[in-house]
Amino acid sequence: MAPTTQVLLKESSHVRTIILNRPKQLNALSLEMVSRLLELFHAYEEDPNVKLIILKSEGRAFCAGGDVTAVVKDINKGNWKLGAKFFSTEFTLNYLMATYTKPQVSLLRGIVMGGGGGVSVHGRFRVATDNSVFAMPETELGLFPDVGASYYLSRLPGFFGEYVGLTGARLDGAEMLACGLATHFVPLEKLSLLEDALCKANTGDPKIICSIINEFSGTPKLKEKSQYFRLKTINRCFSRRTVEEIISAIEKEASKNMDDWITWTIQSLKKASPTSLKISLRSIREGRLQGVGQCLIREYRMVCTVMRGEFSRDFFEGCRALLLDKDKNPKWEPSKLELVSDHMVDQYFAAKDDEDWEDLKLPPRSNLPSHAIAKL
Amino acid sequence: MESSSSTMDRVNFRTQILTRHLQNHHIPPTDLIHTAPCVNYSPPELSEPLANFDTKSLRKLLDGKSIDVIDHMFNLMIQSNLFCPRERGGKVFVSPDFNQSMEQQREMTMKRIDYLREQGAFDGWFSRKGDDGELWRFALAETVSVFDHSLGIKLGVHFFLWGGAIRFMGTKRHHDKWFKPTETFEVKGCFAMTELGHGSNVRGIETVTRYDARTEEFIISTPCESAQKYWIGGAANHATHTVVFSQLEINGVNEGVHAFIAQIRDADGNICPNVRIADCGHKIGLNGVDNGRIWFDNLRIPRENLLNSVADVSPDGQYLTAIKDPDQRFAAFLAPLTSGRVTIAASSMNTAKVGLAIAIRYSLSRRAFSIRPNEPEVLLLDYPSHQRRLLPLLAKTYALSFASNYLKMIYVKRTPASIKTVHVVSSALKAVLTWHNMRTLQECREACGGQGLKTENHVGHLKSEYDVQLTFEGDNNVLMQQISKALLAEFLAAKKRNKPVRGLGLEHLNKPAPIIPSQLTSSTLRTTQFQTDIFCLRERDLLHRFVKEVSEHQALGESKEHIFTVTYQLAEDLGRAFSDRLILQTFLDVEATVPAGSLKDVLGLMRSMYTTILIEEDASFLRYGYLSTDNAAVVRKEVMKLCSELRPYALSLVSSLGIPDAFLAPIAFNWVDANSWSSV
Repeated sequence: MAPTTQVLLKESSHVRTIILNRPKQLNALSLEMVSRLLELFHAYEEDPNVKLIILKSEGRAFCAGGDVTAVVKDINKGNWKLGAKFFSTEFTLNYLMATYTKPQVSLLRGIVMGGGGGVSVHGRFRVATDNSVFAMPETELGLFPDVGASYYLSRLPGFFGEYVGLTGARLDGAEMLACGLATHFVPLEKLSLLEDALCKANTGDPKIICSIINEFSGTPKLKEKSQYFRLKTINRCFSRRTVEEIISAIEKEASKNMDDWITWTIQSLKKASPTSLKISLRSIREGRLQGVGQCLIREYRMVCTVMRGEFSRDFFEGCRALLLDKDKNPKWEPSKLELVSDHMVDQYFAAKDDEDWEDLKLPPRSNLPSHAIAKL
Repeated sequence: MESSSSTMDRVNFRTQILTRHLQNHHIPPTDLIHTAPCVNYSPPELSEPLANFDTKSLRKLLDGKSIDVIDHMFNLMIQSNLFCPRERGGKVFVSPDFNQSMEQQREMTMKRIDYLREQGAFDGWFSRKGDDGELWRFALAETVSVFDHSLGIKLGVHFFLWGGAIRFMGTKRHHDKWFKPTETFEVKGCFAMTELGHGSNVRGIETVTRYDARTEEFIISTPCESAQKYWIGGAANHATHTVVFSQLEINGVNEGVHAFIAQIRDADGNICPNVRIADCGHKIGLNGVDNGRIWFDNLRIPRENLLNSVADVSPDGQYLTAIKDPDQRFAAFLAPLTSGRVTIAASSMNTAKVGLAIAIRYSLSRRAFSIRPNEPEVLLLDYPSHQRRLLPLLAKTYALSFASNYLKMIYVKRTPASIKTVHVVSSALKAVLTWHNMRTLQECREACGGQGLKTENHVGHLKSEYDVQLTFEGDNNVLMQQISKALLAEFLAAKKRNKPVRGLGLEHLNKPAPIIPSQLTSSTLRTTQFQTDIFCLRERDLLHRFVKEVSEHQALGESKEHIFTVTYQLAEDLGRAFSDRLILQTFLDVEATVPAGSLKDVLGLMRSMYTTILIEEDASFLRYGYLSTDNAAVVRKEVMKLCSELRPYALSLVSSLGIPDAFLAPIAFNWVDANSWSSV
């Protein structure tokens, strides 16, 4: 089979530049792409000639996420296990990136959403720029922040991760840098110069790479109305134990001091799938206490439960309303938070009782870094 | 042709093997040259066998329905800079900065409480009802202690002691007035019971309160230096109000110990008139708690401030009570405060878990001495002696944690009829569990060698933070004697009524004495039958001996009080025997809820370890002849065998304890990186 054209490669001495090339679909990740990326990352780790990996994209988006329309089509054909194949490959790729021995620099032009975050945030260097837009918008799609997001969102300052994960808030490049999703901010016009400089330096030494990126970096100012300035309020509300308590805390804030941001926050929580909100919160909370591998294994259980649709078919409804029919009017079921019981939530975190289902098997890593240790 | 090609194949095959041999032979030495000078950290996750049971299910047996609340508290603490997160060896750890001065530590404790309050952690403290409410309160208090005992104590004093006194000793008028400001910390409460001259003996306190009918006020006074209130947590810096325990004197008659509410500071923190406060000073641990001393100089408080659940004083100065017997009144009065012992028992287990998780993880990555020259050094936990030091403590910690859950449940489901059981069980477990914790921490500290001395590695430092548990809320030795007194009373009462003994798990006394096989074998030692039998036999025999000894003294006409002071040896042995049998029973109850499979198997292994190690260590089995010296040797051998059988589960068993990595210590993970030059 001919190698895919959805992922392009550029070789320059010891540097490998991987280009996501599916611009019409905003570089949404297909099974073909994640499989190819996984293969490349495995190969590059073994290859002594490779020292640095640069990940970037063709077109105006870095990556709009996993290609869930394709996944839903597969599942609708009758077998959710085709979907499982996609997620297990994608999550394994995320794990490999999170435990990778060689530095990965991701150049984040344009949209970085869902799975786009997954293929970049786990890597060592994440370079945001003027037109970067980051979001984990899964709860409005009936899904939950996956791709290891329960690991990285839970490690953002305070309870910003809960806020980003539950509301699907859009962050710009300055906000990405401020909260730590990005490690650097390089102005758009300097990005290709940076790329050239990295290729020229031809090194895998993270210190040198960091200082090269620093040379091109700017210090972006947060917008006056940036949500990051609301971190105190966010902490006060999104630290609550349950989704219901979070919403009532925000409503209490609203009664004291109503503004556009609070209105938007309440609306996005009300718009999201109630089941998604509950499982997402639990996932982030568990993720905060776990290693990245453990997070991915848990998220895999969750995503398999979502695809099987036993407790809620919100994922299919969300994809229908937002991606297929585009009526933007999903009918969630259960329709209210109070109808999603703890017992239902528990089921998303349990092993699936299915003969040929098994937990995600992550590749053994000989260099398991401390931060990635999962108490399995 | 054929034959020559097959010969060639064989030759090739042979060459390949030889080449491989030669390569193998050559590569290790060069490898050694490169790697030998440096000890590399290798996470135990890479080398230890994967758990063959579901670690999540095991944690669920420990934390039950409270997992969600516990993890939420962990989340809140990890996410705030007030909890001093710091990166060591690629991981983030939280723990207080013990290098701060006592005053700074106290302020930090208060700030952490403020933070938790702002996040709504205490919302509904008084209004959450039922079993879920009780379990929620316990889970909250225990979890903050995993971060810092001072934080747990400071919260415990405010909510369980001050708040609990208002709730249980007070009535509606107190609830209406104090619940709300207590929940929001507008009022900061403390609990002034202990005095310089009286600790465990509450009924001997000397503070006196009289009533002034003209002004309808009580007047509290400290008549002498030994009556000063002592060790009052919160009093030195922060508390605005206190519950004062005092003798109540009405019309010249002492009506016994009662509790009153008194304000000791105004909202700005100034000490009130007629109150004097001094600091207890620097302590060996718990310096984040501001323990103080209080003197009352005829402090006047309104009549309504008497906590009047069991007795009241009318406006004109008449003493009113429904319980005429002062002994019963006192017992009814203090009974609800048992919650303190419940949290102490539970938090001592959390601390033992922290210690063991750290020491065992370290022993799975730290090596010492090679057995043969040029071989890698041996992992600490692969030494049978190291297994013997840590693994029995791990099995015991599981057993005692199950018992702590049982205590919580009988407290939560308490009825007037079960008060006595709750009192006896909480006394027993408070003593046994806190002793176990201190012993565990000491062993863990030694097992970590020099690293155990570093404050950041917790195991050593926790000893001084938790030592206080052995004596507060009842000195452990006194508690042990109290258990035996209670058992004696139960036994004699049943005999007097000519009825079988019921309650406290003593029903086995009604059956014939169990018979222990004369020759023990490894398989006998692992049967629940034998384990139950020998524990019951010991309890039964010690109780009979105790009854006999007490009655012999009585025959000589000695007073009850005197008799109990001279029979302490048997009393303490019996107290132990009762506790150990109770703990075994709760373990068996937990095991019974688990379906057959690998988890049940590992639980069974730990239960056998728990019983066998007790039989080996507690001298009473040999002293009173439940065990022959021959059988003692069999037991000792079995301990070693059980250690090696538990060894493969060591990592998964400490992972199942549910303590997040951030609350462990650098030596539990990459201690080489944590100590590298670049981290200086």
